[in-house]
Amino acid sequence: MSDTTTELSAQLRERTGSRYSQRVRKAGGLPAVVYGHKEEPVSITVDAHTAIGYISKGEKVFHMDIAGAKQYVLLKDLGYDYLGTNIIHADFARVDMNERVDTKARLKLVGEAVGLKTTGAIMMHPITELQLNCTVTNFPDDIVVDVSDMEVGDAIHASDITLPKDTMVLLTDPGAIIAQIVMKAVQEEEGEAAEVGADGATPEVIAEKKDAE
Amino acid sequence: MPPYKIPKRVKHRKEFRRVRDRKATKGNYVAFGEFGLQALEPCWLKSNCIEAGRVTCQHFLKREGKLFIRVFPDKPISKKPLETRMGKGKAEVDYWAARVKPGTVLFELAGVSEARARGAFFRIAMKMPVRCRMIGRRIEA
Repeated sequence: MSDTTTELSAQLRERTGSRYSQRVRKAGGLPAVVYGHKEEPVSITVDAHTAIGYISKGEKVFHMDIAGAKQYVLLKDLGYDYLGTNIIHADFARVDMNERVDTKARLKLVGEAVGLKTTGAIMMHPITELQLNCTVTNFPDDIVVDVSDMEVGDAIHASDITLPKDTMVLLTDPGAIIAQIVMKAVQEEEGEAAEVGADGATPEVIAEKKDAE
Repeated sequence: MPPYKIPKRVKHRKEFRRVRDRKATKGNYVAFGEFGLQALEPCWLKSNCIEAGRVTCQHFLKREGKLFIRVFPDKPISKKPLETRMGKGKAEVDYWAARVKPGTVLFELAGVSEARARGAFFRIAMKMPVRCRMIGRRIEA
């Protein structure tokens, strides 16, 4: 996490609903909500260009100025449009700087794996983020995983990863695979075995089977 | 004829057409790979189109990367034979199709560079009956 918390100013949004949210977006704002700490949720508007710029850089904790009242907030969720291109809504949760929170940290795989030089070998990394429990001040930007020593068949599990701080607790399943080098040919045989029907073949009809009984 | 994917078991032989002018609310982001090919228009994507896309991608990438097919043709589409009078019941199943809405991710690629993925998706998009675009993973909170 960067040493200074990002400042973000917000205005209260008095009229809520999809129609008013669309008007906010057209005016260059991003509709958002702040909740948590047993206080009433507050609908707000932040500047879309500024907020999305910080979010895309990986910032998660903000020092938010909501109509004069300043508080620390944590980015909890993002809403996307149907094409998944534009961020249309953001959820923020109120936090204390010494509070422990559950969050996600991006995984960054570094190094050229030795096993990838073998023909047909590919690296699979099904998980791109790790779920962690840590204090707000210890938020990691990225968790760096060195894959340069990996051979074909090797796998790195979530439990193998050294977390940047001792106080961090891993919430992701320890057995979850972070990176694995597999031979593509073997994978294809396993995957293609089912569901292939010749042209003209008809599937079994469950309803007809019941009628016959 | 190459083998196309069809369901193994179905509840009913034939289906209603149903409405298809809706936007995708699920299956509209890259979930398995690093890059994806997203449909921008609605269609019933025939099983042979999906197969053509797969073949052209494998041909271009050779043995590189892994292709994920995110759509499955589970909708039976019936068609009356030529020069047939109307009526006499619903026709036999002609082909199987996947329901594609604007935003649906059709294919995903993992283990390839962006340039190679772009090349592969360009070739797949040529086989698709709808406009498509390449997308990456989206930012998660």
